Amino acid sequence: MLLFITKRFGLMLLTMLIVSLLLFVLLELQPGSVATKVLGLYSSEEHRTLWLEANGYLDPLWTRYLSWLGGMLTGDFGESIRFKTPVADVLWPRLWNTAILAFWTFAILVPLSLTLGVLAGMREGSALDRAISITSIITTSVPEFASAVFLSAIFVFSLGLLPGTSGMTDGFDPLQLFLPVMVLILYDVGYVTRMTRASMAEVMTTPYIRTAVLKGLPFKRVVFRHALRNALIAPFTVIMLQVNWLLSGVIVVEFFFAYKGFGSLLLEASLNQDIFLIEACTMVAVFVAVTTQTLADIGYTYLNPRIRLA
Amino acid sequence: MTHDEKKTHPQIPELVNQLKKGEIDRRQFVQSAAVLGVSAASAYAMVGAMPRDAFAQGTPKFGGNLRVSMNVKEVSDPAIFDWGEKGNVARHVIEPLVQIDKNNVAQPHLAESWDVSDDLKTWTFNLRKGVKWSNGDEFGSDDVIANFERWLDPATGSSNQGRFSSMTETMETGEKDENGKPKMTTKMASGALERVDAHTVRFHLNRPDLSLPESMADYPALIAHRDFNGGDWSKNPVGTGAFELDRFGVGEVAVLKKRNAPHWNGDVYLDQITYVDNGDDPAAEIAAFASGQVDTNYQTSVEQVPTMRGLPNIEVMQAVTAQAGVARMKVTEAPFDNLKLRQAIQACLDRPRILEVVYGGFGAVGDDYHVAPVHPEHAVLPPLKQDYAKAKRLLAEAGHPNGLKLRIDCVANPTWEQNTCKAIAEMVKPAGIDLEINIMPGGTYWDRWLSTPFGFTSWTHRALGVQVLNLAYRSGVAWNETSYNNPEFDKLLDEAGGLADVNERRKVMAKVQKVLQDDAVIAQTFWRSVFVARNTRVKNIYAQVAFEHHYNKAWLA
Repeated sequence: MLLFITKRFGLMLLTMLIVSLLLFVLLELQPGSVATKVLGLYSSEEHRTLWLEANGYLDPLWTRYLSWLGGMLTGDFGESIRFKTPVADVLWPRLWNTAILAFWTFAILVPLSLTLGVLAGMREGSALDRAISITSIITTSVPEFASAVFLSAIFVFSLGLLPGTSGMTDGFDPLQLFLPVMVLILYDVGYVTRMTRASMAEVMTTPYIRTAVLKGLPFKRVVFRHALRNALIAPFTVIMLQVNWLLSGVIVVEFFFAYKGFGSLLLEASLNQDIFLIEACTMVAVFVAVTTQTLADIGYTYLNPRIRLA
Repeated sequence: MTHDEKKTHPQIPELVNQLKKGEIDRRQFVQSAAVLGVSAASAYAMVGAMPRDAFAQGTPKFGGNLRVSMNVKEVSDPAIFDWGEKGNVARHVIEPLVQIDKNNVAQPHLAESWDVSDDLKTWTFNLRKGVKWSNGDEFGSDDVIANFERWLDPATGSSNQGRFSSMTETMETGEKDENGKPKMTTKMASGALERVDAHTVRFHLNRPDLSLPESMADYPALIAHRDFNGGDWSKNPVGTGAFELDRFGVGEVAVLKKRNAPHWNGDVYLDQITYVDNGDDPAAEIAAFASGQVDTNYQTSVEQVPTMRGLPNIEVMQAVTAQAGVARMKVTEAPFDNLKLRQAIQACLDRPRILEVVYGGFGAVGDDYHVAPVHPEHAVLPPLKQDYAKAKRLLAEAGHPNGLKLRIDCVANPTWEQNTCKAIAEMVKPAGIDLEINIMPGGTYWDRWLSTPFGFTSWTHRALGVQVLNLAYRSGVAWNETSYNNPEFDKLLDEAGGLADVNERRKVMAKVQKVLQDDAVIAQTFWRSVFVARNTRVKNIYAQVAFEHHYNKAWLA
């Protein structure tokens, strides 16, 4: 197990190293273009040369890469072109905002979808199963930008119950979280529900469950004591992957509701070619992706001993 | 206003005369008189009418927070502002010498009055006395001089270099470039700015320049404290304005709080102005209006007008402007270096149709000379007509008898810009021109707007027709995006800028406009109206032609 974990972490670091190398090659290989992005297209040649010299861009490539990597590791991402502040100053607050969004999404999404999935999967083909499955398919197939408009039309324009944007200009306002969280849940709940349902349904057809039912155990007991633990292994992995989805998938929702999170930051950075910010956002996104993947793998192995032998 | 009793400009009686004879209308009279140092109130008094009373909206109430939906952009250096939004945040803290009001008239602001010599080359500005900076210093000539020196220093890179080109001279630096040609630099001419006393400055221009007061009203001409010399203004925003910058985050929010000191212009009603950045999704802004999170905005696009009007308590205000988008061709880049090709494109366009299709008819038709009907000196030229036979002939003469492929860069938002490009693309198709539209984010376009061979650039409103021509089409100025270089045009433009008499000026402008139109460096197909939304509880704000926010007298019911 320890060897497995070590291997997974090694792989994770390797992935990140490769991504960082790619990122560096893509964005920083030509010092001239970096200087142009930072100083503007109409900066003078002399100004650019001075800047390159002052910022170590005339050093050999490897030296530059290593110092760049060192900066990344210590949280020194450089200065944002658009925000005119150190990248870290905008990155961490924005990431925190998205974490708040993600927390509330998960706090509702996970219990809701697991319950619905288990309810649907424990009696495959029942009326309840059909109802849950059909609803899930419908909500999942409505993209976020459509459900955002739809929910706004109801709660903002018709009923006037909720604020239409979530900029949190006057400090944290829980009311402003309702709509973005609702949209995210609506989009994702069907997917996780259906995964849980599939897993649950599969477990319910296994011989040991049939034995349990046939030996006369109450159905409730069969579900809670015997089926549930095995049925939740697959959804666990799926849910871990949703963390990753949330980080990039929130772009649409954050844009629509003017929520100042990581997704909208990534969008702004890309649209404005703010290269140090793009680099930092990408590294954070990759870090979250490989970390959740690794945690999912380790958790899965822990929950399902059969995998460990493989 | 006391300064009006002093000597009036010799052109004033002539203007009054022309008004009586009906050669100019009242608006044109007030505009021209204001340029010559007569306050709008006095000018209106001369013609025996007051403007529609802007204050007839009940008794102003003190207090409240005006929430404005607008992109919050960095404001590190006012001298190099390139967006109206930047000006709006800063304008409530640092103020201009002159301000353009809702009637498109130049009003004294930090300058109390000005006199101009008969040849329009010597301008004396009397600065307001008793104005205090927020750090306690007294505002005066030294502040104005320090700002002009910074603006006209080539190292600053300010667009004011073009705006105040009548104060600069171009000379050799003494260095040579790779080709052995001497390197040139443009800087303030010696003796261009004279300090008369602590509250009087005198400008000695090297050519007559009528638009000097209007130039001082543009957003990069806000007067910063004399000690500001680069660095980040938002970190230490010393100002003379009624508000101070309390909180500032690019892309998020700018909070302006009323200063705890009297303002030179009397009562200020709002306690706070909050600029909220709702990103670039118009749906977000509309939702913010619908749920009462914002009270007004920077701009409502023409597409959103019907939706906004449908919201309860929201009113859409309109301003007729000299704002326009130009499909501009860089004359130094093939194939646009060919005059016949440019004229062929010009001949393909049905301008009234473009205005109707793209902008719902809100505006006026443009004819490729970038002087608007709302400008006092606008000369009416025969309208350009769509003529495919002529276009094909010109294309053949340009060496493209079988047509050619072209590509135009334009921004994704606002959508009327790309829609205009699409309309142009459809109209050039029958002549054999296959126009590809390269839509890109604003940030990307504005990185290359000066260098792309063919691009669609939107220009903001300016009070006088000569102003935008000076900024964008005079040879060698910073914002000359077409690289247009026509000495005849420059000469005529100088001549027009030297004429105070609006009728005389209009005669020269007819020539200026014709030269620019014939050279076909731009396809400027229409002038658009602009819209600003407001909640009806906001009183005494208006849609200003250049999207400027003047909130010193705004109040909330």
